[in-house]
Amino acid sequence: MSNIPVFFLHGLAYAGLLFLVSSGLTLVFGMMNVLNFAHAAFYMLGAYFSYSIMLRMTGQIWLSMMLCPLILFVIGALTERFLLRKVHVNGHTAELLLTFGLAYIITELVKWYWGNYPLAVNVSGFLSETVQIMGITYPVYRIFIFLCAIFVGLVMALILYKTRLGIILRAAVNDSETVNTLGVNVPLVFMGVFGFGAALSGFAGVIAGPLLSTYPGMAQDILIDAFVVIVVGGFGSLGGAVIASLLIGELQSFGVLLFPKLSIALVFLLMVIVLIIKPSGLFGEEQE
Amino acid sequence: MKKKNNSYIGIIVLFLLGALMPFILKRYQLNMLTEIIIIALYAVSYNLLLGYAGLLSFGHAMFFGLGAFVAAVAIIHIQGLTILSAVIIGFAATVIAGFLIGSLLLRHKGAYFALLTLAFNALFYAVATKWHSVTGGDDGLSISRPELNLGFASLSVSSVSSFYYLILVVIGAAILFCWYFTHTAMGKTVLLMRENEERMKFLGYNTNISRLILFTFTGALAGLAGACYTLHFQFVSISAISIDMTTAVLLMVFIGGTRTFWGPILGVFVYIIFQNYLSDITDRWPLFMGLIFVFMVLYVPGGLSQPIMTIRQWFSGRKDNHGDGPIKVEETSS
Repeated sequence: MSNIPVFFLHGLAYAGLLFLVSSGLTLVFGMMNVLNFAHAAFYMLGAYFSYSIMLRMTGQIWLSMMLCPLILFVIGALTERFLLRKVHVNGHTAELLLTFGLAYIITELVKWYWGNYPLAVNVSGFLSETVQIMGITYPVYRIFIFLCAIFVGLVMALILYKTRLGIILRAAVNDSETVNTLGVNVPLVFMGVFGFGAALSGFAGVIAGPLLSTYPGMAQDILIDAFVVIVVGGFGSLGGAVIASLLIGELQSFGVLLFPKLSIALVFLLMVIVLIIKPSGLFGEEQE
Repeated sequence: MKKKNNSYIGIIVLFLLGALMPFILKRYQLNMLTEIIIIALYAVSYNLLLGYAGLLSFGHAMFFGLGAFVAAVAIIHIQGLTILSAVIIGFAATVIAGFLIGSLLLRHKGAYFALLTLAFNALFYAVATKWHSVTGGDDGLSISRPELNLGFASLSVSSVSSFYYLILVVIGAAILFCWYFTHTAMGKTVLLMRENEERMKFLGYNTNISRLILFTFTGALAGLAGACYTLHFQFVSISAISIDMTTAVLLMVFIGGTRTFWGPILGVFVYIIFQNYLSDITDRWPLFMGLIFVFMVLYVPGGLSQPIMTIRQWFSGRKDNHGDGPIKVEETSS
């Protein structure tokens, strides 16, 4: 069992990725009460844009890490402004259906343009090297993913709890109508939040590319895990997303080590147990 | 009373038309029609959730696929199993699965329900893929269609037209039962729950139990459709239990329209015929389906049946129900 630390680190890397995807999802859900099925499709777009940018231009991941979130922010904001807002009057089901349809279209477009097969993305420079930790040799890139997640998580926490914008955002989660009455342009805030969620998942897509490779099924694969994360952590709870990402990431990783055939079922088992004991999730508020 | 008689006449005419089809259609068209009828039950059961109860499920394919796989596994492992027993075994398995999953989910609604059903569908898909010794994994399972045993006689249903008649009767009866269900007290309860659940609770209804019954019922119908699907193609692959299958039924139901009982059946016709002809022309037909779907969500939320209902109202001169179609809460004077 000398490889337990290795699997632990693998779990951390995947947990980092999961957190990047699910934090945007849970933020949008908490604020707008929209479960964005297209979230993982944005993640996939991030990965594919990154592939093209790296292929055409520098071969470096740094440029993609800056450009892709920007592109996805614009796509997300436009989606909210011109599509989601239109169906808002028709209720939540229409919003769910719209984001689901968008995810479907994006997946088909990706298959059309980039092809229905995996594309390998390679990192260069010090990210492709390995490092010695606790007596084991470990790739730098996976540690880099975990550090990225910590960095993004800290920045989000700072914005939410230490700035005026954060106060508006948290107030809008509780009661968007009152915030609107107080003179804040809530539709604009929603547009920004949706765009930010898309940018986050685009960022996650960029760094997922070299780890998991880029393929048209990647959206669905991460979407299920991200959903399990927000069910376990509690809907709309950022702290819950942190804990649940770590739990699921480690469970996935050690599941592969201990029960190779049952690793997927383990994650669902955790979800079912949480659903039975506390249906609102570990950190979720009780639903009415 | 007159309206009811009209419906009965309509049903009889539809069955007679259906019975004539083997003499009119070509062989491959009849095959397609058999598939349409089977998928129609799948779509109608889905619409009982989406249109009637307002529950958006992303996991209906788990029941469809479960019925399909259980029927296939039963035929392979049980010697001399008749065709109806295979269907009944598939049906029974989905009743149990629907009840178990439903009891986990019944407290959740809206986005929570959508997300959890999707997660369970993913679990079923993962199990079907990994459990290679039973489900055949990526290769799927091939079966040969058993005989139909009516007790007094055994009939072979290996020909296209005889199987078509069997499906017409079995699935037709199931769809009729769904139609009947929407007129029962239980069916009305489901509608009223969608409109105002709090009030139903005040009136003493246990809405969780009603939702559980509906979920199990629709799941079992999907399982029935799945079992027939296996028998039709004499093959079942993991695509039958995949999320794509859920997506397909969602597109069909929504394109046809969720606000009428027959809308989803129309949607199945459009979808499958579209699929068969468009896939010859272009590989990108799912993209077109997706674009049509999003267009409809944005501009025609009632699906194809919305303009049809509007036209019908023009002709009948009624302007009372604003295109809501039959799925609306009727004011009763009791």
